[in-house]
Amino acid sequence: MKKIKNEENNTNSKNILSIKNVNYRYKDAARDEYVLKDINYDFEKGKVYAIRGRSGSGKTTLLSLISGLENKYEGSILYKNKELKKMDLDLYRNTNIEIVFQSYNLLPHLTAEENIILSMDISKVKVRDKNEKAVKLMESVGLPKNLRSRRVLKLSGGEQQRVAIARSLSYNPEIILADEPTGNLDKETENEILDIFIRLAHEENKCVIIVTHSSNVCNKSDIVYELKKSK
Amino acid sequence: MYILKNAVTSIRRSKGRNILIGIIIIVIAVSCTITLAIRESANKIINAYEEKNEIESTIEMNRESLMSYLRDGDKTQEQMVEAFNNIENITEEEIINYGNSDYVKSFYYTYTINVDAKDLTEATDSLVKETTTTKTETSTKTRTRNFGGNPPKGGPGGPISSGGSRTTTTTQKKTTTTKIEKIFNEKAGSGAFSLIGYNSYEAMKEFINGDYIITSGEVSSDFNSNNCVISEELATLNKLSVGDTITIVDPNNNSNTYTLTITGIYKENTTSSGSMSDMFSTSANNIITNVNFIKTILEKNENLKPTITPTFIIKDEESVELFSNEVLKKGLSEYYKVTNNLEEIQNATKSISNVKTFATTFLIITLSIGGVVLIVINMINIRERKYEIGVLRTIGMKKSKVSLQFMSELLIVCIISLMIGASIGSLLSVNVSNKLLENEIQNSMEEYEDISHNFGRGHIEESSLDQSETKESTENNTVEQNETKESTENNKEIENNENVEDKQSSSESNTEEPKEEKYNFGIANVNEVNSIDAVVDFKILLELLGIGVSLTLISSLATMIAISRFSPLTILKERS
Repeated sequence: MKKIKNEENNTNSKNILSIKNVNYRYKDAARDEYVLKDINYDFEKGKVYAIRGRSGSGKTTLLSLISGLENKYEGSILYKNKELKKMDLDLYRNTNIEIVFQSYNLLPHLTAEENIILSMDISKVKVRDKNEKAVKLMESVGLPKNLRSRRVLKLSGGEQQRVAIARSLSYNPEIILADEPTGNLDKETENEILDIFIRLAHEENKCVIIVTHSSNVCNKSDIVYELKKSK
Repeated sequence: MYILKNAVTSIRRSKGRNILIGIIIIVIAVSCTITLAIRESANKIINAYEEKNEIESTIEMNRESLMSYLRDGDKTQEQMVEAFNNIENITEEEIINYGNSDYVKSFYYTYTINVDAKDLTEATDSLVKETTTTKTETSTKTRTRNFGGNPPKGGPGGPISSGGSRTTTTTQKKTTTTKIEKIFNEKAGSGAFSLIGYNSYEAMKEFINGDYIITSGEVSSDFNSNNCVISEELATLNKLSVGDTITIVDPNNNSNTYTLTITGIYKENTTSSGSMSDMFSTSANNIITNVNFIKTILEKNENLKPTITPTFIIKDEESVELFSNEVLKKGLSEYYKVTNNLEEIQNATKSISNVKTFATTFLIITLSIGGVVLIVINMINIRERKYEIGVLRTIGMKKSKVSLQFMSELLIVCIISLMIGASIGSLLSVNVSNKLLENEIQNSMEEYEDISHNFGRGHIEESSLDQSETKESTENNTVEQNETKESTENNKEIENNENVEDKQSSSESNTEEPKEEKYNFGIANVNEVNSIDAVVDFKILLELLGIGVSLTLISSLATMIAISRFSPLTILKERS
């Protein structure tokens, strides 16, 4: 499996991801109408980051730039000091980074277990027993074993989000991006999910970046970046 | 591997969508199977026809060229006849020279000479008749006496009116005249009988076509013997029967005589020849023998000039024109021309060719409509599964792999549907195509039996018996077809051959003739026609598979374009 190696660190050696002077505007927007303007953020492993801002401030757009889903931006985004634009973004997405969405984005015709295994297959993870690993991952995010063969559409919102997190852990990525992961969940479940992210960052040394409106999420995060609407 | 696994899972979990696609492909497959089978059968029928009705070329007198030559220089009738006599006949050497061509499969020829015969009465109308006619002129004088009442009505001889009248009649004149009438038979020539020599059964077209039919005995298979067959009319006129001998006399030298043994008596079966006033058929004075016998006559008298009619079996359509040019190059006289039966053959297979063209057109239409429907359904399918594509792309699956998964799904559905469609199609097409073939096989068998009967080998009752057996065999073959789908091609051939052998043996046991005595008669190989029973064969299945894969690729192309244009972010945003 091809892994992106650490290159010589130009800035802070702890940074896994750096955003340098990033500007972004939509295709159909006016020439000077930027959604993101002069964005400079650094992200380290082992920490939970919250990016908050009002609606339309470009939170989700920033997340799609970091995840490589959108790459027509000005400035540079560096993953381990390597320009993201120059990388194989499919490989980047199925090896180094995982996105957890508010709407879970699981494949509805598959079971919880199959969704996790498919992610492992795409990432070409070499595991002796993928089913066993999937069950372990499910258990690690608080999902009982008996839900493994249930279609994801028959799971509750919290359970689906747990499956999405378990899927994101299936190939052991260094960065976990979450777009409003608790937006559809009740308070209690929100806390449970947040606890999982915090554990992943603090215990498993992941870099967790959460885009959120929730002050609860911001309070529990290590670092909060505030996005303001560009003028 | 995971792509295939995911494709199978996707098919299993989305039954409704895949059943709909499957039904469309089954309909396409059924139509394609039937049309391909009909097309294939039509092809085989045409090939079989072309095999048994080979392209033949012959050399004929070029009348246009001849007439312009005869008219040239304001010739008198005597000069014209002399000029005509000066045109040299085509020799056997020339025919052999023309026949030794790369464009010719085989060739044969007939010799015809006019001869006289000893103690043999010619079947002809050209008799010198002396007719005595006695003409009696009668004049009648009527004298009537009335004894009262009305005068007689209705003229002379009318009813006698009632009332006492009396009529008396008197004959006055009687004359007798003698008239001599001479009727010429122009065909009689210098010899009264036409001696025709063939060098093989293949050359005996009149028997093959059924113009001549043996009514007693048979045509001898020994083409070196002093055997002959004569017409029924000649036999009746001279009280001859099979086993009798006739003596042929050289018309130029009466001392040269030759004895022929009659092995068969034939009758002319043509309805168009001759006119109402002809007493005998045109072939009444034909004595049919072999070339070698005529050659022995010619050896003794070099002045006898035979007419040699060649027939060249041409290899293929393309060779017809080339052969004609080659013969001209080799020095064929300008008063002769090369003719062929190509147009005749093409006309004969025209109806089947039309069926083939219709099947091909129908196939193209079915594929076009089917292809468009599949593309549309696939596009709708892609739009419905946009979210799935977005998720797969977001978790890092490459566009090519997403396309491959979708293509695999379609291919799996397509292959399963093709198998079902081909099975249904083959069941239906067996009936349709075998109906065509059954007729063809029956026709061939009938033809074989008829020709066999024409040559005096076999009887009508036997042939009809064989025909009924053929029908049974054809039905057996139809049943076997379904079985042979699972068996190998070789097995199928063996089974067919067994059927053919069975048929042959049943026919032979009836005629009580050894197996070697089955003659080709220069026509088709009935066995080959009989083997065209495999309607949906391996070739058609391969063609179907090709169609299925092509349709999948074409409709997947649209899918691939759509997938490459989808932005996962946009899809997921839309979903959110």
